[in-house]
Amino acid sequence: MTASTIGTGPGAWFRHIGSTVAGLGQAYRAGLRDRPKRTVALSVLVAVLLLYPYVAHTWLAAFSRNVFPLPLPDDTVETFMTIFAIMAIGLNIVAGFAGLLDLGYVAFYAIGAYVAAFLASPHWATLGLNFIFLGNVDQGTPGVHLPFWIVVPVAVIVVATFGALLGAPTLRLRGDYLAIVTLGFGEIVPLVFKNLSQVTLSVVLGPLKISMDRVDLTGGVQGINPIDSPFLPFLNIKFDARAGFLPVYLGIFLLLIAVLVARNLEHSRIGRAWMAIREDETAAEMMGVNTVRTKLLAFALGASFAGIAGAYQASYLGATTSDFFDFSTSILVLIMIILGGIGNIWGVIMGAITLVFVNSTLLPYIGQQVQNYAPSLPNPAQYNFLILGVTLLLMMRFRPQGFLPSRQREAELTAHGLAHVEAEMGVPLDMDNTSVAPPGQSETGMDARAPETPDEARDL
Amino acid sequence: MTAQGNSAASAGQAVLPENLLTRSVDDAALLVKARGVTKAFGGLTAVNNVDFDIPRGSIVSLIGPNGAGKTTFFNMITGYYVATAGEITFDGQAIVTRKGNKIRSLKPHEVTALGIGRTFQNIRLFGTMSALDNVRVGLNVHLKSRWWDSVLRTPSMLREEQATIAESLALLELVDLKDRADTWARNLPYGDQRRLEIARALATRPKLLLLDEPTAGMNNSETREMTDFIRKLRSEIGLTVLLIEHDMRVVMGISDRVTVLDHGEVIAEGRPAEVRANPRVIEAYLGRGAAEAQAQG
Repeated sequence: MTASTIGTGPGAWFRHIGSTVAGLGQAYRAGLRDRPKRTVALSVLVAVLLLYPYVAHTWLAAFSRNVFPLPLPDDTVETFMTIFAIMAIGLNIVAGFAGLLDLGYVAFYAIGAYVAAFLASPHWATLGLNFIFLGNVDQGTPGVHLPFWIVVPVAVIVVATFGALLGAPTLRLRGDYLAIVTLGFGEIVPLVFKNLSQVTLSVVLGPLKISMDRVDLTGGVQGINPIDSPFLPFLNIKFDARAGFLPVYLGIFLLLIAVLVARNLEHSRIGRAWMAIREDETAAEMMGVNTVRTKLLAFALGASFAGIAGAYQASYLGATTSDFFDFSTSILVLIMIILGGIGNIWGVIMGAITLVFVNSTLLPYIGQQVQNYAPSLPNPAQYNFLILGVTLLLMMRFRPQGFLPSRQREAELTAHGLAHVEAEMGVPLDMDNTSVAPPGQSETGMDARAPETPDEARDL
Repeated sequence: MTAQGNSAASAGQAVLPENLLTRSVDDAALLVKARGVTKAFGGLTAVNNVDFDIPRGSIVSLIGPNGAGKTTFFNMITGYYVATAGEITFDGQAIVTRKGNKIRSLKPHEVTALGIGRTFQNIRLFGTMSALDNVRVGLNVHLKSRWWDSVLRTPSMLREEQATIAESLALLELVDLKDRADTWARNLPYGDQRRLEIARALATRPKLLLLDEPTAGMNNSETREMTDFIRKLRSEIGLTVLLIEHDMRVVMGISDRVTVLDHGEVIAEGRPAEVRANPRVIEAYLGRGAAEAQAQG
C-alpha cells in the first residue's frame, strides 16, 4: 500500500504535489462533514483576512475618515503585519522549535534590508559601480539594480550564512549565556551599518590589493535610499507605498511561502531533532542527533526568514536606515511569538498581527481619541512598551502558553489518533488495526512521572 | 566464552583466581573491549584503570555502591565523557583512542550511529513530544534525507518518513505502547516511560543496549516483566546488553557476567554466583563486619 503511493523518478514529485493539492479539496469536504462548526469558522476567518486589505482600502478607510473614526490598520500597517509575521515564523524556528533563545534576531532583519539596499539602489554609483540586470529602472540609471525576485533569494542566502556564523560560537552555550551573546550580535550589526560610512583601509591579500579612502559602504546615519520597489513584470505592478493594498498581497504571498517552508521543516526529521534538543539536549545527542549541525541549521534557517522580511521591508519602503533595527524590534518579535503561542506557526502569526495592530493602529487611535476628548490625560501611544510589558506579565500569569499554544494541536491529535500523521505526510500509512487512543486521554492521563531531578550532567 | 589465563591484571586491581572467563577471548567475540580506562574530574578519579569486556550476545551487569563510577564508565562508552586515559573499541571500531598524547573520543551521535543505544538513570524522554515522535528521533541517525528534502517534500523523503513511522510503530508495539503512540511522553505512567525509553534506544538500531537502572522504582511484578523483556531482547533481537542495576535479584537473575566497581576500580568480576560469594564485594556493599560475619558463618 505504501510503496505504491509514492512513486519514483522526476515525475513523482509533481504527481505527489498534484495529489496533495487535489487532496486538499477532499480534506476540506471531510472537515465540513466531521467538524462543520470549526471548518466554517476557519473558512470565514481566512476569507475575511484575505479580503480585508482590499475592502479596508476601498471602502472602510473612507468610512473611517469621513463618517466615524475606527481603529483600522491601513495598507502600510497591514504590510508590516505580514513582514513581522514572517519574522515571527523564523524566530519561532530558533526559539520555539529548537528552544534557543535569540535576543538579537533584529540583526538578520537588518542584514536582509541592507542586502536589498546594496543590490537595488543607486548606492554604489559613488564607487563607479553601475550594473543593471532585469531591474525596473531606465537604462543608464546609476548604481546596482537587480530585481526583487533575485534580491530575496540572495538576501536569504546571505542572512542564513550570518545565522550560521552567529550560531557557530554559541553552540556550547545554553540558556542565559546564549541569550547574552545573541543580544550582543543584535546590537553590533545595526551599529556596524550605522558606522561604516567612512571606511579607510588598505589591505594586501596576496595579489589582491584593497585600499579604501573614506568610502561610504552603508550610507551611515542616513542609510540608503531610494531602493527599488518590488516590481511584477507583465502586470506592471510596483509594490511601493503608493500601490495601495497591493503590497499587502505580496506580503501575504511571501508569508504563505514562509508558512509552507516552516511547516514542512517542522514535520520532518530536522523538526523532530530541533524539538528533541529543546526538550533535552543531552538525551537528543545520545539518541544520535548531531546537535552541532542541528543547532546551526536552526540558526541559519530561522535567520533566513528575517532575510525575506528585511528585503521586503526595505524594498517596500524604498529606504533603509540602521534606526529601524534596534533592540526593541528583537524584543517585539519575541513577544509576538510568546503571546501568540511559542512553537505553533499559526499562533505566532496571530501574535505578530495582533501586536502590529496594537502598536501601530490601536494605541495611536486611542491616543488620538484621548487627545481629542481629554487632552490633559497621558497619551497611551507613548506608553506602548509599558502596555506591552503589562500585557506580557498578565499573559505569563494567566495563559503562559499563548493564544494558540502548540499544546492545543496536541490535544487535537489525541482526539484524532494517528490521522494527523497521514495529514502531515500527505500520504496514507501502512498500518493495520492501529488502535487509537480515546479522545482526551493524554490530557487527563495519569501523570505518574518521577519527581524532577536537577539536570546534573554527572548524574546522567 | 573460553576460559584462559588473565593477562590484564594491572596494578591496583584485584583479579580473582576464578575469574578466568572473558578476558582473553578472541577479539572477534568481543563487542566491547575497554583497556585501562580512566576518568578523572580534577582531583577525583571516578574510574581508574578499568579493563572491561562485553562478549557478543551476552547480558553483562555493572554493579557497585553509589558513586562507584558505573555511570561515568557508561558515559565514556557513549562518548559523552572523553576518557582521561585508556582505549575503548566497539565492534572493531575505536570509540576512545590515543593519538600521540591526546585521547580522542567519538562524539555521542557518532557512537550511536555505530550501534550503541542507551537509556538513562533518570528518565530523559522528550516530554512534550508524542511517544511516536520520541521513537522517531531515535531513528534520525539512520535517515538520509536532508533539510531541503523536507522543505520540498521529495518522494524519497516521504518514503523514508513512511518507513520511519512503520518501524517506530513496530517498536512501540514491541514495548506494548502502540495504543499510546499519540500521547505526550510526559503524560505516560512511569512504567510506560521506562519502556518508551527502551523503544527509543532500540530505534537507533543498536548492537549494544546500555540500560542504566531499568527497574529503578518498579514493584516486583513490573521488575519481573522488565527482566523478561530484557531476556527477550537478547533472544529475539540478538542484542548484547550492558546493565547498571542496584536490584540484586535482577542482576543475579539475568546476567551472564557481573563486574563490580568500587571507588572507580574493578574489585570483582565473574559469574553472578561467584561475585555474590566474593568477600570484597560483600565488604563494599555491606561493610567489613558483614564480610567477616559471612566468612565465619
